[in-house]
Amino acid sequence: MTDELADTEPRHRPGLGWALAAAVGALFAIGLVNLPREAAPLSAVAHQALTVAQPHWHTTEPVNEVVYGTRGFDTFGETFLLLAAVVSVVVLARRREPRYGYIGEEVEGSRERRGVAQGSRSDSGERAARAAEGGEQETYDAARPDTPDHEPLGVVRHETAHAMTVVTRNAAKTAAPILAVAGIYLCAWGYTPGGGFPAGAVLLGVVLLLYAGFGYPAISRAVRPGVVEVIELAGAVLIIAAEVLGLVFKGAVSENWLPLAPLQTIRAGGVAQVFSASELIEVGTGLIIAVFTILGMRHDWAGDDA
Amino acid sequence: MIVVNYLAAGALFCIGLYVVLTRRNLIKLVMGLSVMEASTYVLLISMAYRRGSTAPVFVSPPAGRSVTSLTHGGVADPVLQNFCLTAIVIGVAATAVFLSVVVRIAQHYRSIDADDVRGMRG
Repeated sequence: MTDELADTEPRHRPGLGWALAAAVGALFAIGLVNLPREAAPLSAVAHQALTVAQPHWHTTEPVNEVVYGTRGFDTFGETFLLLAAVVSVVVLARRREPRYGYIGEEVEGSRERRGVAQGSRSDSGERAARAAEGGEQETYDAARPDTPDHEPLGVVRHETAHAMTVVTRNAAKTAAPILAVAGIYLCAWGYTPGGGFPAGAVLLGVVLLLYAGFGYPAISRAVRPGVVEVIELAGAVLIIAAEVLGLVFKGAVSENWLPLAPLQTIRAGGVAQVFSASELIEVGTGLIIAVFTILGMRHDWAGDDA
Repeated sequence: MIVVNYLAAGALFCIGLYVVLTRRNLIKLVMGLSVMEASTYVLLISMAYRRGSTAPVFVSPPAGRSVTSLTHGGVADPVLQNFCLTAIVIGVAATAVFLSVVVRIAQHYRSIDADDVRGMRG
């Protein structure tokens, strides 16, 4: 590590920090050594999940039975905690005016404004001002630091994905559909512990892979608030419907009310599969909204001081 | 000796706590909180382990085991694995909210040093 990149940030009261962390560590150590070890019997709820997974839910994945069956109501609450967090991110990142997409409209808008201004007036003073502005921009670009770590806060840059090599782009293009199909297949057939949760994370990974390889314009038609927010809320409505219909038809939330297909088929888990697919929608779109909202915030620096 | 994993989880938590207590860079504070979250994943997965057990999946059991025997035990605890999934999702959601707040603070104060974020109005 060079001197320039060395960590020069001061630590505040490191002695006190160590003392407090060590005290907490000592308390934890006392508690942790008394936890059940590897020879302890499984808990009653774990035995319940293992016992009912196949006969009651027709699933070969007991973790899914716990997520969408035994602890289905907890998962229901957790899902809406995630939704609340996504809403918080959207509210914190709210823009001053509605936008079509998440990223890049400020840059496009400034280009457009320059174009309109250029078309409206073209005397010698205007041309001189534009030349000076252009020269300033070139100087600014040439003066970029060697490492992104030294970029000043709040600098608006073009999408770096435009500079990705053909190797990276082809790798992204090849891997994305394989990953998407694998994630959705594992969720659909109930082979993932947690079903829609990991599959939703895979969906985010696919979208980020495409974004990294091709830039936001390549995904802007699908990944924009008008689309993903509607899909996310549709996922939330599906989850509510799946759970409440259990109460209506069977007298208990999270109870299965669908006919069960044979083991290892797509409808084997009954309502657990519906819940899992809804979670895929909810978690996938929720994470996409959170990540792209935060990515878009860096382009929206102007106007705070107004 | 799964207790070593337990203690490693405790140590990981303390490392995160030390970062939160001694750093003022807001990004590093969020990273410290994420390390603390990660320690709970290590603890939950370690607590789910049982000696000689296999994954709680009723497809293609290992040699010498049958699906019926797996339903009576001999698998890792599926409930604690479920808790770990829950912790991961909540951790991601909390980190997203923290990062949004950090970006807003950075936009407003042009700094991500917690010492600079002391201005109060009203």
